[in-house]
Amino acid sequence: MKFQDYYQTLGVARDASPEDIKRAYRKLARKYHPDVSKEPDAEARFKQIGEASEVLQDPEKRAAYDAVGAQQAGGSGDFQPPPGWDTGFEFSGRGDEGFDAQDHSDFFEALFGRAARGMGAQRRAMHMPGQDHHAKVLIDLEDAYRGAQRSISLRVPVLDAEGRGVLQERTLAINIPKGIREGQHLRLAGQGGPGLGDAPAGDLFLEIEFNTHRLYRVVGRDVYVDLPLAPWEAALGASVAVPTPDGEVELTIPPGSAAGRKLRLKGKGIPGSPAGDLYAVLTIALPPAGSDMAKHAYAALKAAAPDFDPRASLKG
Amino acid sequence: MMSIMNHDHTIDIVEEELQLTLDQLCRACRAHEELVRVWVVEGVLTPIGAAPHEWRFTGASLRRARLALTLTRELEINAPGVALALDLMDEIAALKARLRTVT
Repeated sequence: MKFQDYYQTLGVARDASPEDIKRAYRKLARKYHPDVSKEPDAEARFKQIGEASEVLQDPEKRAAYDAVGAQQAGGSGDFQPPPGWDTGFEFSGRGDEGFDAQDHSDFFEALFGRAARGMGAQRRAMHMPGQDHHAKVLIDLEDAYRGAQRSISLRVPVLDAEGRGVLQERTLAINIPKGIREGQHLRLAGQGGPGLGDAPAGDLFLEIEFNTHRLYRVVGRDVYVDLPLAPWEAALGASVAVPTPDGEVELTIPPGSAAGRKLRLKGKGIPGSPAGDLYAVLTIALPPAGSDMAKHAYAALKAAAPDFDPRASLKG
Repeated sequence: MMSIMNHDHTIDIVEEELQLTLDQLCRACRAHEELVRVWVVEGVLTPIGAAPHEWRFTGASLRRARLALTLTRELEINAPGVALALDLMDEIAALKARLRTVT
């Protein structure tokens, strides 16, 4: 297990005041908030920052962490908490706010106990519905066209025989329905946290996210693909093959098509009722004037269009 | 509502026709009822129905409510601030979507 330097995570000194820690946390939380941030590892960073601030902003936890950190000083790499290190500390926790128990690192769990927070709140009431759980599922655009099977591993806090909270791993096979769109949620009734006593289990919510695709861009139900054309195809019209997530389709390019024009393939977007559309966005690729013949052809084109002004729109 | 049975559990697509009561929404996003009431007053969420016990939230509200909760807790933004942040995020999402339609 790796020792986590929470002070380093937040970029504060070991003797930082609670205000300094709070300020550092706010700044980083805004920067790495997964819903706001454009940083690629935002979600992982946000969790680290949250965990660091959870420990350092809680005087009890900070004292316990500092005690362990002192022994670790200078060392790096593998970390094991010394046996019986936590005698004398009692963690009251902050109730159910903040991070999900599943979000903590192994390091945090070794120090402060597994799933200690969520369970503490639940023990007080004898009958309580289970918590709803949330997770994200990454799929490919093609999966939305055809439907897909996914196995999802979940770590769920449960109470063991002695009433301690432990994390239990379980795998769930789910069918991603055809026609699913990015940002939609699947609800799996009764697959969330177990209820206490006679109360029902919570639900599991899965948010659908698409992997970035090499060719396609997705907007709701509609799919966009860039379609490069040779100048003569755009000018004279042509029939060209367009890739779609469902396979190639022949598309007729009308004569006189300009770059940026969108040609719609109705119903070739994400399936459903109504199905989305697929738009081919035309771009024009110029052949290089590498050979004498090509140079002559460009010169002939210039001669054929003496009044053509590509910059007419720039003039007032 | 679109439901598919597999491995003896039911899958619903939340955004398709699923409607949540105040109680269900609070449970699904783990927010206190008073907080959700404040969000409705501030326009963060717009349920159908007049009185709170008649409120029905669309499936899409769930995502908004979860976002609002993170902004409230992690960044300590107050309700009008959350409403503003969500409006701006919607605008950014709409602009990004428009960007994806051009090359």
